[in-house]
Amino acid sequence: MSLYEKIKTIYPNLEDKDFMTVIILQNDSNGAGDYIKAWNHPTLVKPTQEQLDAIK
Amino acid sequence: MSSISIAGDSSGSITLAAPSVAGTNTATLPAATGTVMVSGNMPAFSAYQSGTQTMPTATFTKVIISTKEFDTNNYYDATTNYRFTPLVAGYYQVTGAAFFNGASINFVSIYKNGSELRRGTETTVSYTSTVSALFYMNGSTDYVELYAYAGVGSSIASTQSTTYFQAVMVRN
Repeated sequence: MSLYEKIKTIYPNLEDKDFMTVIILQNDSNGAGDYIKAWNHPTLVKPTQEQLDAIK
Repeated sequence: MSSISIAGDSSGSITLAAPSVAGTNTATLPAATGTVMVSGNMPAFSAYQSGTQTMPTATFTKVIISTKEFDTNNYYDATTNYRFTPLVAGYYQVTGAAFFNGASINFVSIYKNGSELRRGTETTVSYTSTVSALFYMNGSTDYVELYAYAGVGSSIASTQSTTYFQAVMVRN
């Protein structure tokens, strides 16, 4: 499951535009995979790594 | 005109060459101080993507632009970081494009020093997004990269004409 899908599982009401503005997921094409570059959502807190890891 | 002063290093030489053809040629200097730019200190590069690249959903992903068309000063890294780091300070026009194979909100962005600075046109179908912007580069540590965003996971086509990254110095 991708990082995007995990975040959507935790916060299903997030909209597409949120991922173009206040939440930035990034992949630097260096083999390290996707990561949260920035989390500036006004109400939702950034999920912890433990929360993300718990979603399979 | 009062005088012409030429100052150089302690070694080497400065040559002002005139064309070996008949006629009158005039070079007019502006009433301003600056560095004369010649082709040797005005970097430019162009490169394109040579392999299809998978795009994750809603994730800004660096575009792997790995095939150079030209790189006048060898400042574009086409093997590891896929970034342009010019070692001549000045203003650069930077342009990028990508062709997305999936229909969703797609666009490309130019990143400077790891952060998005200019976002390109958005397309909602399987088409090309382009971005072009002017950047000041400090000539030592500043670098630019091309990232792409696909609202739904898809891929970027490996076509020389549609997925590319370019920059040229326009003035110092």
